[in-house]
Amino acid sequence: MGREPGIVRTYLRVGTLFELQYRVNFFLQLVQSLVALGTAVAVIALVFSYTDDLAGWSPYELLVIVGVHVLLGGVIRAFIQPSMQRLMEDIREGTFDHVLVKPADAQLLASVQQFSIWQLVDVVVGAAVIAVAVANLDTGLGPLDAGAFALTLVLGAVTIYCFWLLITVGAFWIVRMEFVAELFNGLYQAGRWPVTIYPAWLQIGFTVLIPLAFAITVPAEALTGRLGGTMVLAALGFTAAIVAVTRWAWRRGLRRYDGASA
Amino acid sequence: MADVVVDDLERVFRVPVREAGLGAAVRSLYRREHREVRAVEGLSFRIEPGEVVGFLGPNGAGKTTTLKMLSGLLHPSAGSARVLGHEPWRREREFLSRMTLVMGNRNQLQWDLPVVDSFEMNRAIFRIPRAHFEAARDELVDLLEIGDLVTKPVRNLSLGERMKAEIVGALLHRPQVMFLDEPTIGLDVTMQKRIRTFLGEYNRRSGASVMLTSHYMADVLALCERVIVIHHGRILYDGALSGLADRVAASKTITVRLADAHAALDGYGRVLARDGGRVTIEVPRTDASRVAARLLNEHEVSDLTIEDPPLEDVIERVFSDGDAAAASAAVRSGSPGSAG
Repeated sequence: MGREPGIVRTYLRVGTLFELQYRVNFFLQLVQSLVALGTAVAVIALVFSYTDDLAGWSPYELLVIVGVHVLLGGVIRAFIQPSMQRLMEDIREGTFDHVLVKPADAQLLASVQQFSIWQLVDVVVGAAVIAVAVANLDTGLGPLDAGAFALTLVLGAVTIYCFWLLITVGAFWIVRMEFVAELFNGLYQAGRWPVTIYPAWLQIGFTVLIPLAFAITVPAEALTGRLGGTMVLAALGFTAAIVAVTRWAWRRGLRRYDGASA
Repeated sequence: MADVVVDDLERVFRVPVREAGLGAAVRSLYRREHREVRAVEGLSFRIEPGEVVGFLGPNGAGKTTTLKMLSGLLHPSAGSARVLGHEPWRREREFLSRMTLVMGNRNQLQWDLPVVDSFEMNRAIFRIPRAHFEAARDELVDLLEIGDLVTKPVRNLSLGERMKAEIVGALLHRPQVMFLDEPTIGLDVTMQKRIRTFLGEYNRRSGASVMLTSHYMADVLALCERVIVIHHGRILYDGALSGLADRVAASKTITVRLADAHAALDGYGRVLARDGGRVTIEVPRTDASRVAARLLNEHEVSDLTIEDPPLEDVIERVFSDGDAAAASAAVRSGSPGSAG
């Protein structure tokens, strides 16, 4: 397993050097991020012009969610989505063969092959929004909360990665999967609000089917003093489970690809 | 020990079938019918270290399927294969680190990145020590003369340049076994020759064994002493390239130069060409010497040569469906078996 960090480092370095050539993308991304953020804040302002409290969340608490949503969206579009879309294409066109004949874990290679570093602008913007929102909260932020936030955010990112990969693996069976990116981005918008505002059936959907609850709401709860130890354990358990299921589905997909099951 | 050992290898694909028309399309939604296609059937052969073997056959003969099984991309339906002592489809790292697969119609370098960056990625994946990597890269870049191309993005290269870069990328880890599927496809004659010369040189220097498919007979003639001919997934011939015509071609050509440009030539064989006194006649292989003797006896001959038909023609004949059964029978009666 010793070679894996080296592979990730090399891919990151090469991908970053490549993207740095296209500096204009940075400005485009910045404008796009700010427009999206402006819209999100305007919607919150609109909602709170009618009420002081949305399912127990105050305006700044909701801003924390917006921040996590923007930050995680940046991580997804920078690190997860590009490689997954590339993987779908590779499976469809047969170029996935080249990944399989390399002496490294195929899932790892497929997951790090493409980055879009300018999307990290969203990570910075998201972090800034979180900082502003937390500074305006009445409840203080202890080191334990910060730690829980960091932990649940990483778990959330891993969960979303697994979710994306699970869907992408579908390309081994259903060749055309391009619509998935659009579908995911559409559904991801729902994560801008705490899952508790949705009806029960949707809450279950956003927890288990599309894990927005664990990815966005739970880290935001850590920053707003709502998160208990049980929920952290649940997030840990859920992440472990989805990682295992994803690995299993990946192996099944590979077996289908190379015809072991035929 | 042989680098490649293949026994009774078989691969069956299950493909959905449906008739034309809307009705059939709707029916296939709930009742899908499948047909079994035997892409590869009972292949057995061995390749010794350092051998360069041409793997020939028409489109759909099962060449690529075989190469995919041997490089670990496909599971066989039956039979066994070992490459460098490994079962390829287990894709053990030890195996993958020692072999390479080059497919002429597919890109494995990163499209948008400069060629050197793709090489760098391969260095990380194959964990090639820096010094070894640089030595291999410089040697290969030098041999293929692509020094000024490696800093350009792959998408800016011509087809031939890209292929050369692909080959360098595929050999950086100094593989012991190379599977080359149409490495010169679509390239112009000069570029084909360049790549061919390089592959020969690399084989001599490294002692790597090579299995090569190509539609260009010039590739095979230049590189392979041994060929395996497959058709409909079965081996038709496995042996020396020079012996292929003996086994498979049913005829020879006799070219004579006659003093009398208008001599009657009925009854010798099929006249293929006649240019003044220079005549080319096709005769059954077994009759060649008898016909030649008759020509010498009955005419004033200044020159006479007996030749096998060109290899392209031999192969084409093997692959044309009508003759395949006959060719197969001819080959089998000679029981070429597996060489090596």
